[in-house]
Amino acid sequence: MLKTVRLVFSKTGRAKYVSHLDLVRTMTRAVRRAEIPLWYTEGFNRHPYLTFAAPLSLGFESVAETMDIRLEEDMDYADLVARLNAVLPEGLQVLSAAEAVAKAGVLSAATYRLTLDCPAETVQAALAAPELLVEKKTKKKTMKTIDILPHFASATVETGETGAVMTVSLPCSSAETVNPSLFLTALNAFTGHEWTMQVLRLGLFQADGTPFA
Amino acid sequence: MNKQLESLFLQVQKPSRYTGGELNSVTKNKDEVAVRFAFCFPDLYEVGMSHLGMKILYSQFNNEPDVWCERVFTPDSDMEALMRQHDIPLYGLESRDPIRAFDFIGFTLQYEMSYTAVLHMLDLAGVPLRAADRDEGFPLVVAGGPCACNPEPLADFIDLFFLGEGEEVDLEVINLYKEHKAKGYNKKAFLRACADIEGVYVPSLYDVSYNEDGTVAAITPLDGVRPTVKKRIIKDLNNCYYPDSFVVPYTDIVFDRAQSEIFRGCIRGCRFCQAGFIYRPVREKSVDTIDRQSHDLCRSTGYEEFSLSSLSTSDYTHLEELLDRLLDWAEPEHTNISLPSLRIDGFSEELANRLNVLRRAGLTFAPEAGTQRLRDAINKNLTEEEILETVSKAFKGGWTAVKLYFMTGLPTETLEDIEGIANLGQKVVNAFYANPDKPKGKGVTVSVSASCFVPKPFTPFQWEPQDTLEQLQEKQQHLVDSVHTKKISLSWHDAKTSLLEAVLARGDRRLCRVLEEAHKRGFNLDSWSEHFDFDSWMQVFADCNLDPAFYANRRRPYEEILPWDHLDYGVTKAFLIRENKLAHEATTTPNCRQACSGCGAACWKEGVCVENR
Repeated sequence: MLKTVRLVFSKTGRAKYVSHLDLVRTMTRAVRRAEIPLWYTEGFNRHPYLTFAAPLSLGFESVAETMDIRLEEDMDYADLVARLNAVLPEGLQVLSAAEAVAKAGVLSAATYRLTLDCPAETVQAALAAPELLVEKKTKKKTMKTIDILPHFASATVETGETGAVMTVSLPCSSAETVNPSLFLTALNAFTGHEWTMQVLRLGLFQADGTPFA
Repeated sequence: MNKQLESLFLQVQKPSRYTGGELNSVTKNKDEVAVRFAFCFPDLYEVGMSHLGMKILYSQFNNEPDVWCERVFTPDSDMEALMRQHDIPLYGLESRDPIRAFDFIGFTLQYEMSYTAVLHMLDLAGVPLRAADRDEGFPLVVAGGPCACNPEPLADFIDLFFLGEGEEVDLEVINLYKEHKAKGYNKKAFLRACADIEGVYVPSLYDVSYNEDGTVAAITPLDGVRPTVKKRIIKDLNNCYYPDSFVVPYTDIVFDRAQSEIFRGCIRGCRFCQAGFIYRPVREKSVDTIDRQSHDLCRSTGYEEFSLSSLSTSDYTHLEELLDRLLDWAEPEHTNISLPSLRIDGFSEELANRLNVLRRAGLTFAPEAGTQRLRDAINKNLTEEEILETVSKAFKGGWTAVKLYFMTGLPTETLEDIEGIANLGQKVVNAFYANPDKPKGKGVTVSVSASCFVPKPFTPFQWEPQDTLEQLQEKQQHLVDSVHTKKISLSWHDAKTSLLEAVLARGDRRLCRVLEEAHKRGFNLDSWSEHFDFDSWMQVFADCNLDPAFYANRRRPYEEILPWDHLDYGVTKAFLIRENKLAHEATTTPNCRQACSGCGAACWKEGVCVENR
């Protein structure tokens, strides 16, 4: 009986420079090292089944990445997590494992913590503007100008150690995704300054607000 | 520096080449180690990380509790520009500390075209290029690898060279360094002491004088050092250190798989092949050793593929037994075995099927020369019949593509031999159409690739002139004109790069000035065609008053003192002269297992030299 297991893992520190493609390769090798009873696809080029819900941009950190793997035989999930963590490189750590229930299609939003090097007031000023326009690549690879302000309506802004810290929930689905880096682009255009921003993904959620994993 | 570096990573292509922290990379506490070693591969990360020798020595050094070895590669142009802009010197990937503060900076010299990258990396590290300009306050700069068999073009930059295999001698030098460091390190005294270790060549302790015509007049040992330095070999590969894990890169590299070395050296003695002579004698690992080492590596890396590494896989004496053993675990674990440089003719059909040999590797032959006469002259033991028989079999099995590798500019080569290349390609095409069961509606592709011959030290061709650029280009044109079918796709190497390789491979110390000048003019990564600027190179030679033709295109008499004559790789000059003469008579020499040709490597009394005798 094939089982699909959803693993939640963090990607922090040096691992944030691992691109999505490289992450797939890295994880494939990790599950092999952990000697987990993986299911392999049939056919000429047999490979293990691994899927990731919402690829993370290069340079972002996350404590809420998910990876689905398919097992040939069931195993204890605590054991699965321990075995993987024993073989994962610095910066990648499995936090939990459970049977995959929600389909990838129900993924709706992602929450982020954005750490900036500008004062919280600067961010608040930008959020109080009538609109925040940025150029965004569409699925057809053309550019269009959108106002990102509505997506940041529920954002909270605090003052952290180095400057503003914003927590925000953004669309993250097959229909619409808003990359948090758009905010930095808009902020820099708004202030005429080159601020920098660190991104940490905090969680993935379904439309009704329940966690994806 | 760390924070500044972090800000650069997101501005460059493939940042994981510069971050470190890959699986199985080794981090130590710098306060708890006695020796810090920067292992530099003078090329990009993707290339250097594919290199087996570096993996072996990296693991072995780090196996020593008080030694910390880190990896260093040439940064790509985008990263270098940012590093220079932010005053970030070249750093070790593991600690991100500047290598300027390390005890050793070591380079592996795998190909001549990497020499400018060596100087470039020293410069990026903030270390003076010339050994004489580095006092005790700087790291020792050392180098090894195949090109160390004629290290003279780098003699002014490198403090000491390791000749031959590094596993033992490298640690002997590191241990001696620890002793010297404990009692007050003096560079000169240390180098003098190193010169007494077998396999260590300290170029500053040998004076080279020249005749008026530019040839070497004498190589004089100074300060009582040995007149010749002999390379080191590992006597028993079964009891030699081999890593049980490799650093697994995040990003895709050239050879992204585990590698298991099965033997060193080559029995064949192809006369153009430097590796076939400098790694003698042939020494094998046992089936047990290879089986254990391969499985350990696959388990610790998670690699889905591993390759058996050697100069000629088919010459391993127990290949079928070995593959049987490996497949016993590789099949259930979904691990592929890749077999480079394999002659597939000797395989049983069952084993070939289990291995999927053809599917993965494709059909590749290296006849090197187009006619049997020239193949005999270069001692390349492959006949037309063997090639045609094997391709016919493969065509019957449904295959439609074959690759053939040749060299142009080989000694004694005529235009007839060039036509022979096209003819052989044509015969392979014909073999496809002679097959009555050929797949319908499908044509055949025969890829013919022609590189340019580069005469190398310690080969029977070390005295031979390289064809001039004009000759090589004429031959390439003749090859193009000799191909009369679109079924043959032709490709060839740039003769200009080969000319520079020929100069550097057999050069002397006077070339240090050329390299230094080339470095000053910004040359780097010359093995990459987008970086290689031939005309500027020629200008450097002109400005240094040295003629590339003197090194590349001149027939050297047997009596001439060669720049590497004080280095001893086991094979004797008398043997190489004998082989050179046989080449000109187009007479072959049997391989080491058929008969001993008395090359000199038997001095070590190891491997094939003592098998069954």
